[in-house]
Parts: sequence; structure tokens; C-alpha cells
Amino acid sequence: MPNAKAVFLETLLVAALGMLLAVTANALSQRGINLRQDYFPGAAKPPVLMPSDTPSVAPPATRDSVNPSNPALKRLRQRGLQLVSRSEVVTLFRDLRYEQGLVVFVDARDDQHYTTGHIPGAWQFYHYRAENYLPAILPVCLTALQVVVYCAGGECEDSEFAAIMLRDAGVPAESLFVYAGGITDWTTHGLPVETGSRRSGVFLAPKP
Amino acid sequence: MKAAAALVTGRVGAADLFAILMRWLLGAVFVTLGLNKAIEPLEFLKLVRQYDVLHHHVLLNLVTAMLPWIEIFCGLLLLLGVAVRGAAVLILVMLGSFTAAVLLRALALRETSGLPFCAIKFDCGCGAGEVLICRKLGENFLLMALAAALILWRSHRLCLRCSVFKS
Repeated sequence: MPNAKAVFLETLLVAALGMLLAVTANALSQRGINLRQDYFPGAAKPPVLMPSDTPSVAPPATRDSVNPSNPALKRLRQRGLQLVSRSEVVTLFRDLRYEQGLVVFVDARDDQHYTTGHIPGAWQFYHYRAENYLPAILPVCLTALQVVVYCAGGECEDSEFAAIMLRDAGVPAESLFVYAGGITDWTTHGLPVETGSRRSGVFLAPKP
Repeated sequence: MKAAAALVTGRVGAADLFAILMRWLLGAVFVTLGLNKAIEPLEFLKLVRQYDVLHHHVLLNLVTAMLPWIEIFCGLLLLLGVAVRGAAVLILVMLGSFTAAVLLRALALRETSGLPFCAIKFDCGCGAGEVLICRKLGENFLLMALAAALILWRSHRLCLRCSVFKS
């Protein structure tokens, strides 16, 4: 049998060195986590995600399919966020003010998903790396009359976190809206999708 | 060097060879899983949050930032044969905690989905993507058995410094 004291001391040493390495590696890594940043602002509990291959019981939280008991709707209200429906988003998208920058769309997904396809003209704000996006997007949102934030839709909460972060950065709450259906709802209804960077002019062919 | 020479000349017993392979296997698994998490720490952060165990954001960030690197460190120690028992104890503790957390989450998912337990499939944040829960639990118990064997089994073959302290 091993000497328990020696094993215990060795374990403590390994743990201490491991933690030291971990803190150093995280601080040096460009992908490291900012230990002080709250990446999930306003979040009380994460939603209970369904296992994969199981259809979600809850319908998407869009006002096009009104369901007051929808947990996502309840969550949005608790976080003090306003919901916007697909039909309202489409109206805003076709509004002249969209071209004038008075209506702004914000995509809260990461680079890969954004470049694969976003609402034409939408700005990217991946709030997990807020420092990379806020300097560009904040002045745009501050001058806009309406800011619509979206992510993938369904159980995705990133649009809500991004909206809260924008609100905390000074964007008036009354001008912030969350499109909970997200890009999934948008593409499902055959609406235009832009690929690559913002205003790339490259569009995905609509689904037949 | 003596150990390496013994391995080459075939003077390593079957038990030693088994101990070496166990150590390398466990070490390689932990380096691989740790790297998968360390490469995309934000994705790992989102998955850890789903467990709803760490409620303060600083604590959540700290655990998420440190876990992958500690796994890599322990894995490397096992591969090199340094502080083998200490690394194995730490791995055993981590595996025990992960297994309990994954099991509880799977039970909660079974409640909400109504699926049979072994049909539950989700990304547990273990570094291997989506897995079937029964398979994941089986893997974890196997890895825990390997770690326990390394703690109890004294073999200094192909070790740089098997024990840091004299035992």
C-alpha cells in the first residue's frame, strides 16, 4: 500500500502546480476567459436544454406563435427585454430607416455562424468577446431608434445577453428588441440571407 | 534509461508493461480531452453553465478556465511518469465529480424528455462532443478504475520521477 501522507502531499503539489499553469495559460491565451466578466448578464438559471434528437416541447418564442406560458417569453420579460415578432422584423427590414441606420440589426453569434449567413446589413456583436465589437457597434446602436438583436433562435440566449450588455453600455432599453425566433426562423421563411462580412453583397439563394 | 533499456531487452514483466500502458492511456486521454476544451474555452464555459452548479460568474469563469489545463497537466505527468500517484489521485477526484454531475444532469433530462435513460444524448462538456449517457458513464468508470490502479500499483518503469516524495 502506498504511503498515504506522501501521496497526499504529491496530490497537493500537482494540484497547486496545475492551477498555476492553468491561470498562466489562460492569461496568456488570446482565447482565454476574462475571469471578471459576467458572460451571462441577467441570467438566473440556464434553460433546461432537451437532449439532442428530441424535438423541443416549447414552440419558438416569437409573437407570431403567441404562447404566454412559453418559458423563453417569461425569461425575456424577467430580464426586462422586449420581444419583436418576425412580421415586425420584416417590416423593420424593409423600412427606409434601415438603410439610414435608424433601425439596426445585431447578430449575436460567433464569426463562423455570422459569415455563414446573417440578416443582410446586420452588425455582428459576439458578446463573449465584447471588447472586439463594442467600439464599432456601440455608436451605431446609440444613434439608432430601434435595435433588433437576434441569435440562432430556439434555446439560444445569446441575443438576450447581448441586448443586456448593450443596455448596460448605454443603449436605451426602450429602443432594444429581441427577435427570439432568430436566424432559424428568418431562413425558414425564405427571407434573404447575406454571407461573409457585413454588406458583402453576397446572398444565399432562397430555399425552394 | 535503465527502464528503457529493460523494455528494449525484454526484461520488463507483463505487469510492468500493463502498468505503463495504463498510465500512457490515461495520460493520453486526459491530454486529448483537456486540449479539446482549452482550444474553445467559451464553448466549454457555456456547457459548464448548463450544469447550474456554479452560480457566481467569477467562480464559473475560474473553474472553466482552469479545468482543461489541469487535465492537460495531469495527463502530461502520467505520460512522462512524474508524480504518478499525485496526478492519478487528482484525476480520480475530477472524474468522480464529473461523473456525478453528468449523472444528475442526465436524470434531469430524462425527467423532462421522457426518454429511456440510455437514450439520453448530450454534450456533457467532457471534450468529446455529444455522447450517449450510458457510454459516457461506462468510459468514466473505466478511467476511474485505471486511475485507482495507478494509485495502488507501484511500478517505476519508464518513469522520469514516479514519486516526488519518498514513500
